[in-house]
Amino acid sequence: MNEEIAFWILAAIAVLGALVAVRKRNLIHGVFALLVFFAGLSGLFLLLLAEFIAAVQVLVYIGAVGVLLLFAIMLTERVAGDDGQRMTSRRWFWGLVMAVAVFVVLLLPAIQQLPSPEAAQTIKPSVEALGKKLMDPYVVTLEVLALLLTAALIGAVTAAQGVRMPKEKDSPE
Amino acid sequence: MTLHHYLILAAVLFCVGLMGAFTRRNAIVVLFSVEIMLNAANLNFIAFWRYSENPALLHGPMFTLFAIAVAAAEVAVGLALVIAVYRHFKTVDLESLNTLREE
Repeated sequence: MNEEIAFWILAAIAVLGALVAVRKRNLIHGVFALLVFFAGLSGLFLLLLAEFIAAVQVLVYIGAVGVLLLFAIMLTERVAGDDGQRMTSRRWFWGLVMAVAVFVVLLLPAIQQLPSPEAAQTIKPSVEALGKKLMDPYVVTLEVLALLLTAALIGAVTAAQGVRMPKEKDSPE
Repeated sequence: MTLHHYLILAAVLFCVGLMGAFTRRNAIVVLFSVEIMLNAANLNFIAFWRYSENPALLHGPMFTLFAIAVAAAEVAVGLALVIAVYRHFKTVDLESLNTLREE
């Protein structure tokens, strides 16, 4: 019973956060709504007994991605009073229709045809097992991921730095 | 709570993200709509894992962990590209980035 109440509250937080994040005109407010969405999702992970994933969700998404998005917005947009340009497409109605169509035509029938299995009631604290799994069967994946993150780091720095022409070396930047 | 509750919630979140990606014109908003969709997929992974026959195998959290890492790399590179585009075009409005469509 308690689980049910928690589920509905967290689901409402997640859906409302996502909706506000997508529809808000002020980008900064949108990012804060996105953080609320991430927090709600982290609560749902806790409800599903995946406490390590919930912690990772908080660290990576609320901590890193949120700050990164805020920085990117402050670097690119005039944040305050951004009604100077129309930011929503005129055809947002068709976007809504498309999203609802994807939901009704693709996702809903696929979900309804699944059998309804029982939940595992207790799962032992899984962080230790998770660490062991990372070392034993998944070690190659882990290394590839480390390589990918390094490449992404270098790529992000290179892309954000911009192309520097040889002539412009004396520019203040 | 059954598996279907979680799956329908994830589908709703996915569609919200899809709507954002379709309708907004700001590149950053499109990027974080994609993040919303990725998170909905992660919720699916975890829900299937919890309701699977042998959750001790930890397939779901493993896959979600790797998906989160890849998504973090994606958002870092994506935002760097947005900043590069902004330097070149002085805007991140997707409908004014139409150089390839020169009439």
